[in-house]
Amino acid sequence: MAEQRVVVVGGGLAGLAATMKLTELGTPVDLVSLTPVKRSHSVCAQGGINSCNDQTRQLGDSEWKHFDDTVYGGDFLQNQPPVKEMAYWGPKIIDLMDRLGVTFNRTQEGFLDRRRFGGTLYKRTAFAGATTGQQLLYALDEQVRRREAEGMVRKFEFWDFLSPITDASGRCVGIVAQDMVSMQIRSFPADAVIVASGGCGLLYGRSTMSVFCNGSAASRCMQAGAKYGNPEFIQVHPTAIPGADKLRLMSESARGEGGRVWVPRKAQDSRPPKSIPESERYYFLEERYPKYGNLVPRDIATREIFNICVNEGLSVEAGRMCVYLDLTHIQRTELDRKLGGILDIYEKFQGVDPRDVPMKIFPAVHYSMGGLWVGYSKSGDGGLVAGHPQNQMTNLPGLYAIGECDYQYHGANRLGANSLLSCIFSGLFVAPCVRTWIQNQSKSAHELPASIMQNAINAQEIRHKELLGSTGGENPYLIHQELGDALTRAATVVRNNQQLESAYEKVSELQQRAKACSLSDSGSWTNQNVIFTKALQDMFPIAKSILRGAQLRDECRGAHFKPDFSMPSLSEEEPAARRAEAERWCDRFEENNRRFLKSTIATVSDEEPQISYEDVDTSLIPPRPRLYGLVGAEVIEQVWKERVTSPQTTA
Amino acid sequence: MSSPTHAEPVVHARPHKINVRILRQDGPGQPSYWERHQVDYEENMNIISVLQRIASQAMTVEGKKVTPVAWDCGCLEEVCGACTMVINGRVRQSCSALVDRLLKEHATEIELRPMSKFPVIRDLMVDRKRMFETLKRVEAWVPVDGYDDMGPGPKLSRAQQEENYPLSECMTCGCCVEACPQYTKIEVHRRPGETDDQYDQRKRETYAQGFVGAAAISQAVLFNSHPTGANIANERMAVLTGTGGVQDCGNAQNCVAVCPKKIPLTRSIARAGRAATLYALKRIFDH
Amino acid sequence: MNATNANFLTRHDFLIRRLHSLTGLVPVGCYMVVHLLVNSSLMNGPGAFQTNVNQIHSLGRALPLVEWLFIFLPLIFHAVIGVWIIRSGKTNTDQYRYLNNWRYTLQRWTGVVAIIFIFFHVFHLHGWFHGEWWLENVARPWGMANFKPYNAASTLATALQGFLWPIFYFVGIVCCVFHLANGIWTMGITWGVWTSDRAQKGASIVCCIGGIGLLIVGLSALSAAITTDVQQARNVEDAMYKLRVDTGEIVDNPEKRYHAPESLGDSTEEASPDEDVSE
Repeated sequence: MAEQRVVVVGGGLAGLAATMKLTELGTPVDLVSLTPVKRSHSVCAQGGINSCNDQTRQLGDSEWKHFDDTVYGGDFLQNQPPVKEMAYWGPKIIDLMDRLGVTFNRTQEGFLDRRRFGGTLYKRTAFAGATTGQQLLYALDEQVRRREAEGMVRKFEFWDFLSPITDASGRCVGIVAQDMVSMQIRSFPADAVIVASGGCGLLYGRSTMSVFCNGSAASRCMQAGAKYGNPEFIQVHPTAIPGADKLRLMSESARGEGGRVWVPRKAQDSRPPKSIPESERYYFLEERYPKYGNLVPRDIATREIFNICVNEGLSVEAGRMCVYLDLTHIQRTELDRKLGGILDIYEKFQGVDPRDVPMKIFPAVHYSMGGLWVGYSKSGDGGLVAGHPQNQMTNLPGLYAIGECDYQYHGANRLGANSLLSCIFSGLFVAPCVRTWIQNQSKSAHELPASIMQNAINAQEIRHKELLGSTGGENPYLIHQELGDALTRAATVVRNNQQLESAYEKVSELQQRAKACSLSDSGSWTNQNVIFTKALQDMFPIAKSILRGAQLRDECRGAHFKPDFSMPSLSEEEPAARRAEAERWCDRFEENNRRFLKSTIATVSDEEPQISYEDVDTSLIPPRPRLYGLVGAEVIEQVWKERVTSPQTTA
Repeated sequence: MSSPTHAEPVVHARPHKINVRILRQDGPGQPSYWERHQVDYEENMNIISVLQRIASQAMTVEGKKVTPVAWDCGCLEEVCGACTMVINGRVRQSCSALVDRLLKEHATEIELRPMSKFPVIRDLMVDRKRMFETLKRVEAWVPVDGYDDMGPGPKLSRAQQEENYPLSECMTCGCCVEACPQYTKIEVHRRPGETDDQYDQRKRETYAQGFVGAAAISQAVLFNSHPTGANIANERMAVLTGTGGVQDCGNAQNCVAVCPKKIPLTRSIARAGRAATLYALKRIFDH
Repeated sequence: MNATNANFLTRHDFLIRRLHSLTGLVPVGCYMVVHLLVNSSLMNGPGAFQTNVNQIHSLGRALPLVEWLFIFLPLIFHAVIGVWIIRSGKTNTDQYRYLNNWRYTLQRWTGVVAIIFIFFHVFHLHGWFHGEWWLENVARPWGMANFKPYNAASTLATALQGFLWPIFYFVGIVCCVFHLANGIWTMGITWGVWTSDRAQKGASIVCCIGGIGLLIVGLSALSAAITTDVQQARNVEDAMYKLRVDTGEIVDNPEKRYHAPESLGDSTEEASPDEDVSE
């Protein structure tokens, strides 16, 4: 058989990890990326990477507990075997990254320092200042550069992935991509394709994501027939700072290092925050969740901020959601050592030193838990079968998805510092699986008839030319703004069906208008205008899936919150009545799980998303109410515990 | 959340419009020309948002329809290194170049130019491959055996970590070399009939004749100080004392002054200088 | 510079630049310090100065060898490579007005000035070549080759009369001193002597103080030379000359002595009746 190659689309943590591992196993890789891979969005990850470790182990932690926290944090919407496998790989991954030279912070004695993150009670998070993602990405980038120097990797940077290529049997045999500089469109035959193209935050106009996180690669796979899982689960990060071009993240690690979230008890108190006495500050997260405090999972923190600002009217600034994130009680040297990176960002963009003055922070769209549907092969112990070709493979044979653009690991809500883990894990883990797949193929993609590749190129060239000649008069940048506004209004923290429906109509209208864009640049050299317009057009399948998926999911789960279908809090005061109420609450909880504890699966046909559902494998950890020790909900936990230990009582 | 922002009108007097002068170039080897644009002033604007408005207007201040200005950007929070350009005569990241501060520097106009030390691809976009090629030459990586689970890495002291961490923040943005009077532009034009591989090869060879620059020196120092990285320290020193090595530094120290990450580049260069001295002596006496 | 030269230079870039850096200090820089110190002895009168000059010239026939090996060749090497280095960079102080960038630019400008200065300084006082034909037909008619080692102070003072030459020397000394002081500072970075930020700042201060000290030394030599009374000096020198020749401390060499010009109508001082120019 002729030489076999793999194409990796995207050079963030996942793509680089896969590339690195594949080349180690002897498979050459073509790495296609919109940007020089060193500039991938993974650099924006700040806080750290989770794993059970020697320190937490002695406090009773284990890989299983990490697995449990992840599943609980994700509101049980993940298939559990891949999550379990990931949690058990955690310590190994951190060891590997340590060996690759990542400058993790150290303890006095020289061990890796750890901090606590949201949704856990253990200090699992290894970190390199407040630029952990950057540091991890660089380590992988360096290894891939080393492999490139050895001739095992060919990098195609500033190349836009346009579509997967499939043969008559439906197997993915390569991709079509376009050079964003010369505008040349060409095919890359490949025996397997790994898409690692990250999230889709750009759909929301402004988010914490980088400009290339437009979801176009995932959308193009979807339009080629790939299934997209859990689109409606979009994480809104509780702490970011707004800018005219993007919303900049203020890492959860600020709270992990002791940062406190509060608002003045008096609405829009005009005094400088430092002069507001302790007694007049409302530390609402600490009061409502004494167990987890400021480190509740992000969906909960965001909702609480929304609640405090919108329902209780205590926002620091009138007219927009804004609370204080306070680090001023922590020593400067400590802050510089552990959080320097993000504090510099705040200082640079806001002009205020957060070491002296509490930060004003806002929620912002941050991560998509959903993504391309991928399969897995469950092993006897509940994990994954290593090297099995089905792991991470989409429903298009030979097309794999890893990292943020798969839907696999985070369910309805991602815990902080788990994304770096899932990206590196899925990248490393997929490599032997891809190897198995390509070794099982009878024919190399390079031996296929040239017409397969040529047809795919032709289709893209037609699209490109049509777009250049289009004279509909619409401005793609303005349509993008409108799309962002529509999605931000309807599909972020709080959702209701009416709004989702009207947003869907609006987005459908925008989709039609986007086809009638007039380009201000019809040239054939570094035409960013046409590249952007293509990406814009390809935002709609995912945008519509988000809205439709959210609309059809009449429940609250993780980041998806519909007040109309929320579980009421207990109102009875009298113990027996309160207990009975808790019983009813648990009944309803179970009933809801029967209906909605299912993955949303979106496919697209004729521009409309088709939604179906798929059961979730919860065989390892049975679902339970997700309360995080909320004050006033203790009796629910009590009732639930009794039901689990003696199932008869439910009867 | 982007929805209800920009609620209040700004109290103090601000300009209604921002004048922007951009040095454009349609492609490699083409002549460059100035173009004037005007965008509405908004609060919290940076150069990225100005360029976004310009892209969506695609019209000069004279009302002439033009193509959108091409530029490169990524994270928009100064960690990816993509959006470097020369703003009001000084190289910096356009994401962290805030309009209010620029207008304080120069009230009437903002001037944007592409970096001058790299070949222009189009407008404000330049080709910085030379920097990445140099990282390859100095072998800026830890030469591990493989990626299997082999236990933790070498134990490092906190002091060592604190010395290395700032160096590893380098995002290859190119500010240091743009401001460096010793780093000169190398532009290799394609010859007719040359294949991609031949052209790339020739580019690599030509780049290898030029100064490696502060960023690469600092990376070499970083990896030489890592216990495993040090295993190939001599290979890095061979490059650093070869053509275009650390000796080409002229000590203008602009690199450290313009570095957006405040990386102690002069210290790295001095450390490389010391290592080069020892390496050269060793080569003389241990040869 | 032709291609092979360029290749040779770039191939041995490291060695050449380090040698360039080294020669700047040893011997060129060291020589300059000694030179200025010796010259500043003129502050103590022509006798003290003459003693020092005599000491140097007591090397006799070895002197040219020493001069070429330890001064001129390293200096020419330093200058030629210096020019090549200047050509390899492009100053940008108009854009980046940082102190250290100014120092970079000044280092280059002062280097160029130093080359010009030293070139003319040597011509002015020594005439470049000692061949009689050259001196007779080129150097002296141009008013060059004025220095006579056995009439050190007086010929020096004579040579520095007027106001153009003192300015020229003033500028030259300032540039050379800056070039040396700043050069030592950058050399410490180049060779990795001071690596930390603090050490570099400290070294910068030390070099600055040293530079100012050396400048004071150099300028006091210059002012002493300008203010020297030529006639008095010559008397002292001639007396010393006799004495030293008699005791055999110096070799009798009329070439190194002042001879009154034969033509009349020169300035009174030069025509002054000191003519016991003993043969």
